[in-house]
This record gives sequence, structure tokens and C-alpha cells, in this order.
Amino acid sequence: MSVFDLRGGCVALGGREILHEVGVTIEEGEFVAVLGANGSGKTTLVRALVGLVPLTAGTLEIFGTPIARFREWPRLGYVPQRLAVGGGVPATVREVVASGRVGRARRLRRLGRADQAAIDHALEDVGLPHRAKDPVATLSGGQQQRVLIARALAGEPDVLVLDEPTAGVDADSQDTLAGALGHLSRQGGSVVLVAHELGPLAALIGRAIVIGGGRVVSDGPPPEPEGHHAHAGHVHTHAHEPAPPGRPSLFEPGTFER
Amino acid sequence: MSFLAYDFMQRALIAAVLVGAAAPAIGTFLVQRRLALMGDGIGHIALTGVALGFLLGTAPVLTAIVVSILGAVTIELIRERGRATGDVALALLFYGGIAGGVLLIGLSPNGSSATLVSYLFGSLSSVRPIDLVVIAGLSITVIGVAVVFGRELFAVCSDQEVARVSGLPVRFLNILVAVTAAVTVSVAMRVVGLLLVSALMVVPVAAAQQLTTSFRATRIAACGLGVAASVGGLVLAFYADVAPGASIVVLALGAFLVAALAAQLRPAR
Repeated sequence: MSVFDLRGGCVALGGREILHEVGVTIEEGEFVAVLGANGSGKTTLVRALVGLVPLTAGTLEIFGTPIARFREWPRLGYVPQRLAVGGGVPATVREVVASGRVGRARRLRRLGRADQAAIDHALEDVGLPHRAKDPVATLSGGQQQRVLIARALAGEPDVLVLDEPTAGVDADSQDTLAGALGHLSRQGGSVVLVAHELGPLAALIGRAIVIGGGRVVSDGPPPEPEGHHAHAGHVHTHAHEPAPPGRPSLFEPGTFER
Repeated sequence: MSFLAYDFMQRALIAAVLVGAAAPAIGTFLVQRRLALMGDGIGHIALTGVALGFLLGTAPVLTAIVVSILGAVTIELIRERGRATGDVALALLFYGGIAGGVLLIGLSPNGSSATLVSYLFGSLSSVRPIDLVVIAGLSITVIGVAVVFGRELFAVCSDQEVARVSGLPVRFLNILVAVTAAVTVSVAMRVVGLLLVSALMVVPVAAAQQLTTSFRATRIAACGLGVAASVGGLVLAFYADVAPGASIVVLALGAFLVAALAAQLRPAR
């Protein structure tokens, strides 16, 4: 069964069409990267897949059910692009991760043993069990990103959708993240992630969908790394700034643009 | 403890305990959502409701509840729609609330702007036995909502988009927060007054979070502080003969200062 089946999907934001008749099918167990330049529509695509932006045309099925009738939301885990964990009141790492369990928890009941175990596993997967009782605001940016991923993992999703999980994240956190996603993938889970820089995730990617100008420009095996990106241990530190001239970036080229 | 000899003080104290616990219970979620000033806006709108009650000759509390719930739902729908224009729309709504209140009270036969003052800053003697029943019922409802929906409200107030993808009824929960805040405003106006009711929702939370590390502890400590400030402020108002809203809020702000200083003095976490 397909996890996501989007056909002829159009999305307009503020009266301007961002996605033009995009067709994307993602099968169970796939590990897919959605690549493209800034403004290409890759974030809009994954936001449409999880139902955060409505389609103006086309159809979307999630696990074989049209989105309007889809109710099994706990099967989806979503990690939005955030610089930090939000909220104006202090919360511990464990409280934030536990909130990812909300879709599966019973009202007025304390979280049961299965819930607690899922939260523990999620914390272990991102390497933060020792920080469980710390206020989340005291963690570094990369660690906070790991908390957001643990929050999604705590819901024990069948598919995890992540928007730029590696943006601005330190090398250690990127490695931990790659480990956690690899773990989910080996257990049969599907992963869809928007990426600007793949870093240590590159080895996990089975398929790359490249978006340009609101359309799918290529869909298939991930491109082979070239140039300095191919060097072992290469770490991207330029999270969002455009690549300087003479230093071609693999997924930033204008060649993907219309 | 001579103040306990007066019936009106006994009623006011019971009301203060209930309101002091209920306001921070919902206020924690407003602060979590970075909507600390929402209660203030609802308070402005509720003034129109109070004046409408005088004009129609019905209980001002009832009209205040109805008008502030309508206002709160409107605020939520405006917020949901857009960002920049929503900001101005909210400002228009709040000014309209104050102006409407003063206008309607002027038109009503047995009211004047002076009548509104007791609603703006609270009044010790204004809690009648029937008010106490209403205050008790509604305070327990507010606390009940905060407890029963606590897990969902934390998720929604932390991250709306993730909550939506989790399948939570985000719009329902947002409106639930808004309506509960509106009910709290109407309940608390007799004790702290409409202009200061938002302070009782926010200041205890701000004070508590200087010293707490978890959401749960913040919520419990804020409710405790809210009760302490309300009761202490009421007694202070009785002896000093000032509006209780002012003394309650000054005490809560004092607690915030003490907590902020204590947080500075203790070793970094």
C-alpha cells in the first residue's frame, strides 16, 4: 500500500500557485529525500502531504484513504522546520517528547506502560535520555531539533515526515539523527524528508525527488555526490546561505530551476 | 481576623480562592501559546457586556459572559485567518469593547461611568450570594477544562501544526481555550476587575516559571500563587480600603520580583 499517493496536486498560497500538478507516490518502507533550491516548493509539497496546506486541485490518499476521510493520524509523525522548541512556559525534555504521544493517549488516563516505554525509546533513539528532566530551553539548537524528532518518534509513527531536520544542526546531532532515522527505516517505517544538505543522511536515502519551480524535475535514485561533497567526513556548516561562487553545492544548482 | 465577621468578606474570600486558582490554570496555556495579552483583550470586550446588562436590566455577569465568549471566538477566528491584519483587527475589537461599554452605560437609566469603575477594578462588597454560586460553578468548570483537556491543550499550545498532523481537533481546542479564558474573565471581574483580570491569568505564571523547570510544576505553582495573591490582596484591600484588583495584582507582581531575584541568586542550571 502507498503511504502517500498524490496525483495532479496543485497548491496555491496567497493566491499564487506554488505546486503545479505534482504527482508523487511513496511506498511503505521507502526512505525518500525531497530536494530542491530555496523557494522550489519542496516544503510546500511535504506540508501538502501531511494535510497542512489544502490542495486546490488533484487528489491525495494517505495509506489508501482519501485525505478527507483519513482518520489514522497517529500513523503519521511530522517534524516541522523550527529553530527551537516553542512555548512561553518552561517544559522538560520529557514533557515535550510525551506530547508526541497525544494522538494515541486516552483522555483522563495517566500515560500507560506502553506510552512510557515509547517515550523512553524515543529519548534513547535521539541520545537524550540523560537530559529528560532538563528544561528544553537549556539545550543547544541541535539537541532541541533532536527533541522535536523524539516527539514525533514517541507517537510510534509508520511514516515520519521531516522538514529540513539537519538545517543548522551540529555534526554530532546530525549523526544521532541519521542513526535514529536508520533505526526507524530498518523496522519497516517510511521516511520522507526535505533536505537542503544531506550530510550523514546521504547513505540512508533510497530515492530522491527533486522539486524545481513547483514541479517534479527528477525522481529516482539519489544523485552521486561530486567534488568536495564526496570527501569522507565532509560536514556542511553553511546551513542556509547560498553557496559562494566556485564552490558548487550539490542540491543548490540553478540547473534544477525552470 | 476581624474581617471574617463580615458576610460580604466571607463571600469575597471564597470567590478569591476560586478565581485565584482558575485564572492561572487557563492562563498557563495562554502564556504557553504566547497569547498573554488575550485575557486583557477579552476584558475590554466584556465591559460592553457589563454595560449591556445594565441597559437591559439583566444581571451584568450573564451579559458579560455572553459578550466575552462571542468576542473570544471572534478573536480566535481573526487569529486563525491571518497575521498582520489580524493584529489591527484585534486592536479595533478591543477599543470597540471599551467605547461600547462607556456608551451603553451612558444610555442606561440606572448606570453611569462611575458604576463601571467597580467592574474595572473589582469591589469587595459586590459579591452577592447568587454571584458566589455562579463564580463557584464557573471556576470549577474552568479548572475542569484545564485538567480534562490538559494533554491536548499542551500539545496545541506548543505546536499547532504538529498537533494538527497528530489528528487533534485544533480549531475546537483553540476555541475551547478562548471560551474558557472568556468565562474566566467574567468570573474574575467581580474580584479583580476587568482591567486587571488578565494580570491574574499571567503574572502568577510568570512568577512561577522563574523557579520551575517543568510545565506541570509551573501550572501547580501558578495556581498556588494565584490563590495566595488573591486572598492576601483581598485582606489588604479590606484594611487599606482600596480596590481589591489593585492590591491583588501588586501582590502578584511582588511575588514575581521575589521569584526573579531568587532565580538570579541561585546557581545556574
